[in-house]
Amino acid sequence: MSEEVLHQSPLMYRVLRESSGRLVIEVVVGGIAMYAVRVRLDDEEAESWAREGAAFSDRLAKAITADPKLGGRAYEA
Amino acid sequence: MNRTFQCLVLSTLLLAGCDSKPEAKTEPAKKAEATKKDVPTKADPKQAEPAKQPEPTKQPEPAVVAPTEPTPTEPTPAVVVSTGTCDEKQTATSKEADERAKPYGITEHLTKNFSDMKVSWLMKETPYQSFVVKTAAKNFGRCDDTGCYLFAAPTTVIEKAVNDSMKDGKHDPAVIGTALGLPAANFEGPLRMMTLDLTAAASACVRLPVDSDPGVWKCKSEEDKDCFKFGGYTSGNVPEVMVINAPVDKAVVKEIQ
Repeated sequence: MSEEVLHQSPLMYRVLRESSGRLVIEVVVGGIAMYAVRVRLDDEEAESWAREGAAFSDRLAKAITADPKLGGRAYEA
Repeated sequence: MNRTFQCLVLSTLLLAGCDSKPEAKTEPAKKAEATKKDVPTKADPKQAEPAKQPEPTKQPEPAVVAPTEPTPTEPTPAVVVSTGTCDEKQTATSKEADERAKPYGITEHLTKNFSDMKVSWLMKETPYQSFVVKTAAKNFGRCDDTGCYLFAAPTTVIEKAVNDSMKDGKHDPAVIGTALGLPAANFEGPLRMMTLDLTAAASACVRLPVDSDPGVWKCKSEEDKDCFKFGGYTSGNVPEVMVINAPVDKAVVKEIQ
């Protein structure tokens, strides 16, 4: 149930490690009404995160902000 | 002779006295008549006013009262729309946005939709706790090296949407969603409503939002909701501005169940 915050960004997103060990990115989306969505990182994204860190998660967060559904992968936080 | 003369003088004086007094009485009588004639027409305010003409001589009194009365209400006209404190980058971005929106612009937008300079926005409780409270954020919004970027709407609009949605102490997400032209799902669960008086937030900068602002989700079709359209209005046609560096300590935060 517990999750670990690996990275908290001032861009209003954070990268978390679920109790299962899986990585999740939580991003605040919306304009005058803000809410948060989560996307589980796939293996490739997890590797990119391990390799690039915040540079990668910044890109992913921006992609989610620009398309909060992210092709159906996102779910409400 | 003397008595005759005295009698003549006395009678002359008496006659003169009797003649003059009635004359003096007739004048007020005429005036009274005149005013009585005015009575039936008193319904006409134009005629009632001249009767009070002597009062304008007391003008110095209202003149003294007048400045004291407007003084407390003077702060209202003092709410002059302002774009706040914008640095070089924001000023340049604002200029470009105004150029694109011509003949509209941020000043016209603020005058038309934000005349009281109060902005509000909503946030779900969970992200509010995770991204504002736990991080002890100094400014609201998405921050990068150039500032913290926040979309905000007129307080009157948000306030009305929230108030109209309240039933038995709880908000109805569908009512807020309809009022703001956004999906009801965006308002499910506890919310926070933030309000910022921009006149009290000297460090904030206000301009029209642009495509490159953090948090922008560009609309891809006419049916798209909750996405960004340039011009100062949301896809749901609610006025919006981009506030840069909106200080947390100057905002009023309200819980909405």
